[in-house]
Amino acid sequence: MTALSRDDLPPPGGGPGTTTRPVPPGGLAGSARTEPVDWVVALSTPGPEQQHALRLLHQLMVRAAAHQVWRLRHALPDDSPAAVEVVVQQAADEAMTALLGKLHSFEGRSRFTTWAFKFAILQASSDVRRLQWRRREVELRDLDLGTIAASDHDDAEHSAEAADLASALARAMSTALTPYQRRIAVALLVDEVPIDVLAERLGTNRGALYKTLHEARRRLRAELTERGYLSPTGGAR
Amino acid sequence: MTTPRPRSPLPPRAVDALLVDTTPWLSCDECFERMDVHVEAVLADPHHHDAAMEHHLLGCAACADEARSLLDLLRSGTA
Ligand SMILES: [Zn+2]
Repeated sequence: MTALSRDDLPPPGGGPGTTTRPVPPGGLAGSARTEPVDWVVALSTPGPEQQHALRLLHQLMVRAAAHQVWRLRHALPDDSPAAVEVVVQQAADEAMTALLGKLHSFEGRSRFTTWAFKFAILQASSDVRRLQWRRREVELRDLDLGTIAASDHDDAEHSAEAADLASALARAMSTALTPYQRRIAVALLVDEVPIDVLAERLGTNRGALYKTLHEARRRLRAELTERGYLSPTGGAR
Repeated sequence: MTTPRPRSPLPPRAVDALLVDTTPWLSCDECFERMDVHVEAVLADPHHHDAAMEHHLLGCAACADEARSLLDLLRSGTA
């Protein structure tokens, strides 16, 4: 993808604070009339039309990546315009490769441009989070149950109930979850490690971690329902 | 009420996040597959309802941010 034009980076995403009006996602400025009628055919049939479609697609990817990196730029170790542009271009290139590998799966249930944007947003998010955590340790720690016994005092009934629920939940984590489920839940939801960063560090993938988390939540809800902390219909009592 | 209450190692945000009901099951891959169609549907009709997507987005911060970003991007183009 590096042979494609890189001259199309919008000012960071047309994001907040910029004066540049974002280009409508249905078509790029001045290119609406030349946008392929059928993107899949244009992108998969060798010839000049394919080259044109690839250039337009790359512009779309840059635009969506810029939008997402701009939103998350404060998480970057270096959020200077030059550094942001590097992240945007890399994300756009990688997202374009990912999209072209899945081109056959586009079913036309949304606009092609919307479908394309999501690849760039996913890639840009993942790249920013990886950079954000690059120099940070990820600890797969167990829940520290030692602090449960410490007493505090609450004068509001609401916070007393919340503290009861939190303590019951912490106990349920120790009894209803496996050590692995507990560590994954703590990393993702207590320490708030991004799921794709954790997946990369553990040599697994986002889907597998989410599945572990889903099962952990199901067990915790069942346990707290049985103990009367949650109503069978869902909410806290 | 001055009864001492136990403290928890879980901050309120974590309690809420741990107790999200993420049924019916939807994987992150399936969420990604549906995201474009879902976001266009929400844009066309703010009352659009898809329980599996909504519950996944409540329980998955990464997918939720990506869906929000896609929605913002489409809105920025139609505003
Ligand atoms: Zn997800």
